[in-house]
Amino acid sequence: MTEKLLTKHFGTENLFRIDVYLKLNGYQSARKAVLEMMPEEILNEVKAANLRGRGGAGFPAGVKWAFIPKDVQKPKYLCVNADEGEPGTFKDRYIMNHNPHLLLEGIIIASFCVGINTAFIYIRGEYEMVAKRLEQAIAEAYANGFLGKKVFGSDFHLEVIVHRGAGAYICGEETALLESIEGKPGNPRLKPPFPASIGLFKCPTVVNNVETLSNMPFIIAFGAEKFRRLGLQNDGGTRIFSVSGKVKEPGIYELPTGISLREIIFNHAGGIQEGKRLKAVIPGGISAPILKADEIDIHMDFDLLIEAKSMLGSAAIIVIDEDTSILDVLKIITTFYSHESCGKCSPCRIGNSWIHKIVMRIKEGKGEKDDIENIIRLASNMVGKTLCPLGDAAGMAILTIMEKFMKEIESCIEN
Amino acid sequence: MKIIIDKKEIIAENNKTILDIARENDIYIPSLCNHSKLSPYGACRLCIVEIKGRKGYFPSCSIFPEEGMNIKTDSPKLKRLRRNILELILLEHPNACLICGEKENCDEYKSTIRKVSEVTGCVLCPSNGTCELQEVVNALNLKSIRFPSLYRDSEIRKNDPFFDRNYNLCILCGRCVRVCHEIRGVSVLSFVYRGSKTTIGTVLDWNLHELGCQFCGACVDVCPTGALTEKSKKYEQSPDRKERTICGICSMGCELEVEIRNGRILSCYPRKDGPVNEGQACVRGRFALKEIVCHPKRIHYPLIRKKKKLEEVSWDEAIDFIAEKLKTYKGSQVACILSSQVSCEDSYVFQKFANNVLKTKNIGTIAANPDLERFSQKSDCELMSNFRIRDISKAKVIFLIDSNVSVSNPIIWIEILKAVSNGAKLVVIDSLRWPYSRQATICLQIKPGTESYLFALIAKLLLGEEQEENFPNTEYFNFYREFLSKIQMSEALEAIGIEEKEAKKTAEILNEDGLKYFIFGSGFTQYSWGISNLTSLWNLSLQTQARVIPLTFESNLKGVLQTSRPFSAMKKDFAEIYKIISDGKIKALYSNGPIPLYSKKSIEFIVVQDSFMNENLMVADAVLPASTFLETEGTFVNVEGRIQKFNKVIDPLGESRPDWWIVAQLGKRMRGKGFDYKKPSEIMAEIKRKIPEFKNVSYNQLKKGIEIFINHKETGEKREEKLTPLKLPPLLMDINEEYPFILLFEYNSDIYRGFVLNREIKGMKLIRNSRWIQINTEDAKKLELTDGESIVVESELRRFKGYVRISEVVPSGIVLASFLSNEEKDFSAAHMMFFSGLKTLPIKIKREC
Repeated sequence: MTEKLLTKHFGTENLFRIDVYLKLNGYQSARKAVLEMMPEEILNEVKAANLRGRGGAGFPAGVKWAFIPKDVQKPKYLCVNADEGEPGTFKDRYIMNHNPHLLLEGIIIASFCVGINTAFIYIRGEYEMVAKRLEQAIAEAYANGFLGKKVFGSDFHLEVIVHRGAGAYICGEETALLESIEGKPGNPRLKPPFPASIGLFKCPTVVNNVETLSNMPFIIAFGAEKFRRLGLQNDGGTRIFSVSGKVKEPGIYELPTGISLREIIFNHAGGIQEGKRLKAVIPGGISAPILKADEIDIHMDFDLLIEAKSMLGSAAIIVIDEDTSILDVLKIITTFYSHESCGKCSPCRIGNSWIHKIVMRIKEGKGEKDDIENIIRLASNMVGKTLCPLGDAAGMAILTIMEKFMKEIESCIEN
Repeated sequence: MKIIIDKKEIIAENNKTILDIARENDIYIPSLCNHSKLSPYGACRLCIVEIKGRKGYFPSCSIFPEEGMNIKTDSPKLKRLRRNILELILLEHPNACLICGEKENCDEYKSTIRKVSEVTGCVLCPSNGTCELQEVVNALNLKSIRFPSLYRDSEIRKNDPFFDRNYNLCILCGRCVRVCHEIRGVSVLSFVYRGSKTTIGTVLDWNLHELGCQFCGACVDVCPTGALTEKSKKYEQSPDRKERTICGICSMGCELEVEIRNGRILSCYPRKDGPVNEGQACVRGRFALKEIVCHPKRIHYPLIRKKKKLEEVSWDEAIDFIAEKLKTYKGSQVACILSSQVSCEDSYVFQKFANNVLKTKNIGTIAANPDLERFSQKSDCELMSNFRIRDISKAKVIFLIDSNVSVSNPIIWIEILKAVSNGAKLVVIDSLRWPYSRQATICLQIKPGTESYLFALIAKLLLGEEQEENFPNTEYFNFYREFLSKIQMSEALEAIGIEEKEAKKTAEILNEDGLKYFIFGSGFTQYSWGISNLTSLWNLSLQTQARVIPLTFESNLKGVLQTSRPFSAMKKDFAEIYKIISDGKIKALYSNGPIPLYSKKSIEFIVVQDSFMNENLMVADAVLPASTFLETEGTFVNVEGRIQKFNKVIDPLGESRPDWWIVAQLGKRMRGKGFDYKKPSEIMAEIKRKIPEFKNVSYNQLKKGIEIFINHKETGEKREEKLTPLKLPPLLMDINEEYPFILLFEYNSDIYRGFVLNREIKGMKLIRNSRWIQINTEDAKKLELTDGESIVVESELRRFKGYVRISEVVPSGIVLASFLSNEEKDFSAAHMMFFSGLKTLPIKIKREC
C-alpha cells in the first residue's frame, strides 16, 4: 500500500470539524510556516517539491507564486479554483467535503508565502452543501485565531471568502473565474497580461486549484525532498485520480504521480464491469484526447501523456467499455462543449454548436457522407485559434475520437 | 522597434497592435470585431497571423509588437482558415446575398427595395454598401457556404426611439457593448446568455429608454452590420454627397458628417477624426439634428402683424416695416436679446447693428454664468478659456461639481471617463445623484447651496502647516488663514450634510500629486450666492494648484462674448434683461433668441428673428425666418475656446436667410454704415481687424484643420492669480409646513434657439422631457403620485405646471425642474426663478385638477 496524504484521514468521523482535525495534528504545518519560516524559505520548498498544478495545466506551483511582483502597492489576492467543472472530476469535492481544514491550511501557507491578505474560494455553484461546510470550517478557523486579524498570533492577517459560481464550466478557466468574482459574465480575458501581474480587480493574483493547495501542509511537514520522492516519475507528491465509467469500483484513488494507467484501472478500480473488454479511456477529464485500449500502458505523468498526444488534465479517468457506442461518447462531449462555450470567439461558439448538430443527426440515423469531413474541419478550425483553451480542448478531444474511431463512426453513418 | 510584416521592415510603436501597424502600412488583414477606439478584444478570429518561431496562430488585433518579430499576414493556409472562420460567422447572418453570384447585377438594378423591416439579405438591409461583412466577404473571396444558415428569429426591437435593434443580423463582435461600457460609461447593452445562445441585449430585455440610455448613438456608429440602424434612414437610398460641418447645438463643437440626398439630410453622424469628439456625439447631434432642420415648426417666410394677425410677406416688405417702426424709438427704449447659438459673424453684425444703428446699451445674451463673468473681472483671472478638453484625460484628480455632465457636456464626460480608467480619482460633489456618479471614487451628496462651506472646510483641512510663500500671491494670505481657522469642523459638517471621514478622504485625494481639475456646471454659479461658491473654489484651486473649468452649454457663448468686445454694452444675462423689461422702460424688443412672453405689457413692438415657431412668438409684431447653422457658414467658439468653421450643408429652407444677412439688410435700410456684406468671410475679415483674439483666424486655415484657440494658455503655466477674500453665504432658507419641499432649477441644455429639443422631438421627450418635475421615490409615495401625472408646483408668489418623474436623482425633500427662458407661461419654471430672484425655493406640490 502506498502512502496517502490528502485522503489519509477521510475515514475519520467528523474530520470536517476543527477539534477532530486538530487532534490529528492539524494546522501544525501552517503554524510552522507562519511562525517559524520566512516566505522565501516556503517558496523554495514548494519549488523544490516539484508540485505541479492539479487543476489541469500542470504548471509548477512554486514558479507561479514567484511570478507575483514583490514591490507593488496594490493588494494581492489568492483565488482558489474550486469550480471543478471538468466532467469526470470529483476530487476537489471530496477534499472540501471531508477535510476542509486541509484546504484552509494550504490557503494560509500560500497566502503567507506570497504576502496575500485576502483569499477567495471560488466554488462551483452546484456544490451548495460543500460551500456550507467550507463556510462552517472558515468560521471555526476564525474562532481559533487561524484566520482573521492575527493569524496564529503573528502580524499576518488573512481573510477568506467563499464565492459561489453560477454553474458555468468556463468559470474554471482562471481569467473567466476572476471576471466572475468581479461580478461580470464569466468570459475569459486576453492573455497577457497574466493574473500574476493584472488579475482580480487589476491586482496581482494567484489562482490555484484546491488539490494543489491541499498539498502544501505536507510539503511543509515532510520537507520538499521527501514530498518529491513520493512521485514515481518527475513530479512530486501524490495525485487523486477520479475514476468513473464502466469500472467495478469507481471513486477517488490517491496514488503516487506517475503510476501507470493500467494499474489504476485494473489493480485499484477493480477492472471493467461484468468482465467486459476495455474499449477506450479518457485519461484527464473529457478535454483530454481519448486513449484506445492498447494505449493504456502509460505512466500518468504530465509530460509522458503529452508525448502520447493526450493530457493528464485533472486526472479524471473515464473508462469506456466495448458495449458503449463511440457516438454516444461523442454526443456527450459535443453537447457539453456546445453548451459551455462562452460564446465570444466565433470558431468555438459556432463550431461547437454545429458539430453537436451534426453528431445528433448521425445519431438519429440521418448521417451523410461528408459529415465526418465537416466535423473534422470544424474541430480543426478551433484548435489554436480561440482565445482560451476551451476551443483547443474541445477541438482536440473531438479530433482524436474522429481519428481513432473513424471506422465505427463511418459504419454508424452507413447503417 | 523594428518588426517585419510580410517581409517588409517596419518601425513600430510598442503601444499599437499588429493589426493597427499593418493597416497604417497598407497591409490588409480582415477583421470584424476590432475597432480602433476600443481596447483589444479578439473574438472574431479573422485577423489571425503567423509569427515566425511561434507555434499556432495569433489574433493580430490583440498582439503587440516585440523587437524583431517576423509576421506573416497572408498565406494560402491563413486564407483557408480565415475563409473557414468567416463561413462560420456567416452561418449566423443572412448570407444568401453575400455569396450570390449575381450580386454585382443586383447592386446596380435593385438599389432600394427595402420596404420590409425583416432583413433576409443584403438587398433588404439598410447597411447595404457600408456593411463591413460585405467588405470582408469580398476580400476573402468567399463563394460558397457548406452549412445551412441559421436564422435566429429574434424579434426586432423597435420600441426605442431613433434606432432599431435587429439581432438576426448581429455577428456578436461586441463593439456596441464595449463602446457603451468603455467609452460612454453607461453599460446599458450587454451580452446575455452563453455559448451558441449568446446574444446582445439589455436587463430583462427592457427597452433602452427605460434603462437610462441617452441615445448617444455610439453603438449604432460602431456596428459593422445592419443590426443597429437609424430608424429614419432605414428606407432611404444611399446619399449622393457627404459634407462635414460642426454641430452648433452645444458648446462641445463636435465635428459631424452629414449625408445628403436630393438636398435633403439623410443622417448626421460624428466624424472619427473630429478634433474634439473623435467619433463620438450625443443624441442632439446624432439623431435630433436631422429632425430639427426640417421640423414642421420651421418658419419659412417673413411674417408681420397685419390687423392683429401674423401674415406672410416678402423680405422687402418685412424689412421696410421693421425699419420704419424701429426708427421711432430712442436707443434707451430698445432692448436686444442675442442668442448664444448663432455664429461669431452673426453675433458681430447683430451687435454692430444694436450699437451703431439702434444705439441701445441694453443687449443681453442667455449667458448661463453671469457670475462667472463678473468673478473673472473682479479677481483678474481668465476663467473662461484656460483649458483644453484633451488635457482632462491626463488628470489625476477631478472634482465634478453641480453638473449633469454626461448629458449636458458629453464629450467632457468621455474625457473624464478616460482619466478615470487611467486611474484618476473622481470626486462628485452635488446635492443630486446623477447616474454617472457610480464611476466616482467618492460621491459627496451635500445639502443644496453649501458648496462654499465644503471647499472652505477642505481648504482648512489641507492648510495645516502650509506656509505663506507657497502661495503665488500673498496679499490675502493672512486673512485667508484667519478666516479658515474660524470654521468649526462639526458645525460645517452638519451644514454640508456629510461625515467627517468623507471630508478627510476628499482632502486626502486632493493632496495627491498630479494634474487636478475642478469642473463645475451651471448649477454651481446659479445660486444667489454664486460668487461665494466661485471664490471658495478659486481659493482652494490656488491652494492645491488645481485648474478650474466652468462648463457652458450653448454652442457659441464664448464667441458671442468675444465678439462683444468692440461694443461697450454686452455682458447682461437674461435675468437682467428680464428685470430691465419688467421695469417698463423698454418699448421695443429685438431678439434673435428667446423672448419672455410675459413682457408684452409694456412693450409696443417686438421683432423676433428665429428659425422656429413657438407659442411665445404669437406676441411678436414681426417674425424673421433665420436659417439654421446647416444652411449657412461661419465660425463657432467651443467651450475650450477652439474656433471652428462650420459649413453650408444644404440650401436655406423656404425664404429663410442667415442671421447676418437679415441684420445687414435692416442695417442698410436704416442707413447704418458698413453693412454691405456679401458673405460671412467679409465679416470675419472685419472681426479680425477689430478683435485681437481673432487675428489668426482664416477660413482657409480652419478648413485645413489648423487648430486656432482664443486666449491660448498652456496647462503647465505658472499660476499668478490672487486669493480672493471670501464671505460665506447664509444657509438655505428653511422649509416650513406649508412649503415642505426645496425646488432646484436645472438649466435645460437641449435647446436650439427657439426650439426645445426635449419638448418637440418625441424620442427626446421620452428620455428627458423638459416638463418633467423630478421627485424622489419616497416623496412620491407619500404624496401618492405616479409617473407622468400632471402636477402644479407652487411657491409663495408663483406657480407652474409639469409632469411627475419619479427618480433617484433627487434626494428626499428636493424637487428638480428644468428651466427654459422661452417656455410657455403655464409651464415656466424660469418665470418663477426670474421673478423671485432666488434659485432655490421652498415650494409645495399639488395634483392638477
